[in-house]
Amino acid sequence: MILRNEIVMLEVTTDWYLTLAAILFSIGFIGMMIRKNALIMFMCIELMLNAVNLTFISASKHFGQVDGQVFVFFVLVVAAAEVVVGLAIIVSIFRKQSSASVDVLNVSRG
Amino acid sequence: MYQEVKLELIFILPIFLPFLTAVFLFLNKKLFNELITNFFTLNSALLSFAIAAYAFIALGLDKFKPIKVELFQWISNPDISIGFTLDGLSGIMLILVTGLSFVIQLFSTSYMEKDENHCNYFVYFNFFVFSMLLLVMSSNFLVMFFGWELVGLSSYLLISFWSKKPAAAKAGNKAFVINRVGDFGFLIGLMIILDTFNTFDFYKILQNTTGIAESTITAISLFLLLGAFGKSAQFPLFSWLPDAMEGPTPASALIHAATMVTAGVFMLVRISPLLQHSKIASLLIIIFGLITALLAAFSAINQFDIKKVLAYSTISQLGFMFIAIGAGAYVAAIFHLVTHAFFKALLFLGAGAVIHSMHHEQDIRKMGGLRKKMPITASMMGIGTLAISGIPPLAGFWSKDEILASVFVNGGIYYVFWALALGAAFLTAFYMGRHWLLIFEKDNGFEHSDVAEAPKAMTRPLLLLGIFSIFIGFINTPFFHGLEKVLHVTLENVEVTHLPKGITLVVLAVLSIGAGFTGLIIAFLLFGMELHKRINLKKFKLEGPINLVKDLSSNVLYLNKFGNFFFVSGMKNLSRKVAVVVDGMLIDGSVNFVSTAFNKSSKITSSTQTGLVRNYVVYFGLFLLLLIALFIATPLVSR
Repeated sequence: MILRNEIVMLEVTTDWYLTLAAILFSIGFIGMMIRKNALIMFMCIELMLNAVNLTFISASKHFGQVDGQVFVFFVLVVAAAEVVVGLAIIVSIFRKQSSASVDVLNVSRG
Repeated sequence: MYQEVKLELIFILPIFLPFLTAVFLFLNKKLFNELITNFFTLNSALLSFAIAAYAFIALGLDKFKPIKVELFQWISNPDISIGFTLDGLSGIMLILVTGLSFVIQLFSTSYMEKDENHCNYFVYFNFFVFSMLLLVMSSNFLVMFFGWELVGLSSYLLISFWSKKPAAAKAGNKAFVINRVGDFGFLIGLMIILDTFNTFDFYKILQNTTGIAESTITAISLFLLLGAFGKSAQFPLFSWLPDAMEGPTPASALIHAATMVTAGVFMLVRISPLLQHSKIASLLIIIFGLITALLAAFSAINQFDIKKVLAYSTISQLGFMFIAIGAGAYVAAIFHLVTHAFFKALLFLGAGAVIHSMHHEQDIRKMGGLRKKMPITASMMGIGTLAISGIPPLAGFWSKDEILASVFVNGGIYYVFWALALGAAFLTAFYMGRHWLLIFEKDNGFEHSDVAEAPKAMTRPLLLLGIFSIFIGFINTPFFHGLEKVLHVTLENVEVTHLPKGITLVVLAVLSIGAGFTGLIIAFLLFGMELHKRINLKKFKLEGPINLVKDLSSNVLYLNKFGNFFFVSGMKNLSRKVAVVVDGMLIDGSVNFVSTAFNKSSKITSSTQTGLVRNYVVYFGLFLLLLIALFIATPLVSR
């Protein structure tokens, strides 16, 4: 309580968290757009999911309600399930063409 | 009451007996040999004739009061039911059809011997008899229409019976298609009837004709007349009948000479209470009847197929029946129908016997001098020839003379019609005389060493029909109006043209006998004594006209070629143009336009589907931005 007056600290407001989440989301989104390795794209998706989680938590803190935190648990569960399925797909792609590039998988093009 | 119920039940039997026989034979086709088939079909035919005769006699004892049986009502409004009737008119037809069916089936057992489809022939034959009886015994237009269509079908089956011959298959098709034109008219007539009277029942319709406008009656009559023209092979729908001779000869005898082709005449007499109110229809009937009678008789004089001569003769005689109907002499029409059925069946069966003995040779130029080889056939066909030529006291004289006299008695323009009909009668005698002389008398230089008299199963029906052809005319003479009494109740409300009285009748009779004799004598001079070879034709400049007549006759005045050019080729060209313009350009074009439009537009939209995940992510991002922009731009409602 004494130190509080001596050390001048920038106050970390909700805005900061939201900005961080936006940056993380943008990194994930741009990664999705420019990378063609399936594994990397997968990680980008995770990044975006976690950015959203961060938004939820900060909003929850800001408004003093637990709804957002409850939502995060749901997102985490869904993400875990999605990882299981997604990784299995990536492994089978890798087995088939010995690379994880998604650009080769364009049979459904118009 | 008891008697009536019994008779009602009994007269339906002969209608369905042939049908049951046909089904029975058809089911056991593989099991039965010829002998068993013959046994069943002959006994069934004899039984139905016996029942028919009993029903007719019972009806006669009841003074020909019509009996009606309604099996069940199909639709209550409009009143449509399935029913049968027995009155003088249908009674005569019942006896005629069942009787001739038996005699001709007896002949057929020998004629169709060792044919590979022997059993099928009798199946079709019995089926025809059933259809014909359905037609004549019906108590309303609907059942009549069923029979009308079914006789067309069985006629088709029997014409193309030897369907391996292309000509036979083609002739069957032609008969069916031309009949279809007539049936189309018949059907329209039925629709107008149902619209006007709200029922199909003969008695209800024919007794309520007074309140109906004449134009409606004329329309009904004309459309039904078209049906009669098709079925009875009248001008201009006659050309199927000569071709129908491709069928087995006994079938031709029953269907295309004695019974089916007279269905039109029967139907017109049936609707005579309607017909008498329409002057136009009556006039048209007599005019077309005359054209047919003259045209067909003219065409018959230079034919060389033994059956085609008889076919044209049938058309010509049917023309006489139509003349009688047009002149209002309905009894005379039925009378001629009956006598014609006998002598024409006789002539056809005789021709069948000749064809059988000549090993299926039908060209009369290759015959000649057969009288000594086949005396019974020759004499019976001689009787038939005399009967059709109108020589008294044979059958044809009485009926034909009655028709001619009835036309004469109408007066006015009918005197001209009478003269023309007399000319047709003269031509009839001429070509029939020629026909008989060429087959049996004239020596054509062909050796017929292997030709012998036909077997007994053929000559016996000939003898039977020969006797009838001599005596059947006495059922209705100026001294004894038998047939008129039979038809009296049926034609109760109809004004029937009666014969003239006294000296006029005698003069007319003498004239018609004269026409018959003249025709026969000229035929004898030309083909018996070969007079034309002794005169120098060139000196009289007769060669040209004679050849012209011969040419026109054998080509039926080029009517077939005209019809072929006008209707068949014209229709073909028209349909080809329709196929190109309407079908090819309009319908195919619009269908193809729709498909190409979809194809092109889908190509454009499908180019966005690159198959690259990152492109989809870009789209996703863009739409996300759009969503956010919308979210910001839209003010929240709750605020």
